[in-house]
Amino acid sequence: MMDTNALIQELANSAAPVRRLPPPSARMLLWLALSVPVLVAVIWLMMPGDINPIAALADRRFLLEEAVLLVTALAAAFAAFASVVPGYDRRILLIPLVPLAVWLASLGEGCWRNWVALGADGLTLRPDWDCLPPAILIGIVPALAMVMMLRRGAPLLPRISIALGALAVAALANLGLRLFHLGDASVMVLFWHLGGAAVLAGLTALAGRRVLYWRHVAAT
Amino acid sequence: MGESRERDQRFALLMRATQEGDREAYARLLHELIPLLRRAVRRQRALLKPQDAEDLVQDILLSLHEARRSYDPARPFLPWLMAIVRNRVADGARRYISRSAHEVVVDRLPETFSDADPNTINAAYGDPEALRLAVKALPDGQRRAIELLKLREMSLKEAAAHSGASIAALKVSVHRGMTALRRMLAGTDP
Repeated sequence: MMDTNALIQELANSAAPVRRLPPPSARMLLWLALSVPVLVAVIWLMMPGDINPIAALADRRFLLEEAVLLVTALAAAFAAFASVVPGYDRRILLIPLVPLAVWLASLGEGCWRNWVALGADGLTLRPDWDCLPPAILIGIVPALAMVMMLRRGAPLLPRISIALGALAVAALANLGLRLFHLGDASVMVLFWHLGGAAVLAGLTALAGRRVLYWRHVAAT
Repeated sequence: MGESRERDQRFALLMRATQEGDREAYARLLHELIPLLRRAVRRQRALLKPQDAEDLVQDILLSLHEARRSYDPARPFLPWLMAIVRNRVADGARRYISRSAHEVVVDRLPETFSDADPNTINAAYGDPEALRLAVKALPDGQRRAIELLKLREMSLKEAAAHSGASIAALKVSVHRGMTALRRMLAGTDP
């Protein structure tokens, strides 16, 4: 075994100045600032001509859903960035569950209303692949930014950090995608959008340890 | 209570200086942390053999080094440090369990070796963990040369193509690396 004193000397000799990580809240805003232009650009370029996003936002229910998605994205991003800083209270990681629950509740209530109004027809699912290309286009820059920013921190909980990051990206992408599907039944949104977000978070979490790891451990 | 806060503030100041590139402050900080880390490791992994415990302490130092940009001087230092300690101790335990799951404990080794072999093996390999750490401590160029030529057993030509360094430079690096390794490992034989 190498002598610990020699290791300390080695580390001290190789210690160049480092740029401190800003607090998680500042990094959350930076991530949002990187992601929003892409979101706006994709919506601008790919939006079908007959949809007016500004008019859509006048619908209070729709506006509320979009606001909940934005809060979910921000809360998940904040929790993800806090999870790579040692010493934060782990309860912070639960914060995104609150807006997530509100989103779920609003979709559940929408399903219920559709069922009451239309019966079983209100709850039919059909595949809808049209929104996949804009979903990928909207998601790719925020996802890459998220991974790069998380990798600058300490990989204490790689799977949870990545899952939270994926949730942030998925919520933000959903925020944009909802504008493409104004008339969609809640069950479609619940299944495809929320389901997609859950699958994305779950799958990426599995890869968490390959994305976020201690470099000195991986080098051995 | 006041004393521990004072100590935390001192560590925080040293870490702040470290982040700004003050190497002396960093060495002092790490030296001051060592007894604390040893105690923490002993408390959390009481049954660990002394050399494994020290290995864990070194792993914590390397992790602290890697994570040092994540420390915010506006926040207390010790909770930051202890979160890293807990992570490395838990990871160490996980690796230990997965390693021992692949090991078979036997009372007597199967007698399929010739008499001379075990001595040769011991003499040749020594402590692989010490070797790993020693290789890690080498300067970049030497470590790269050792990894390519000795550990991955590439030819000089392959290693040169892989690393972009010239054959002559690789020869020099590997020679210096081997000499440094011999020197580092000389004092650590059991």
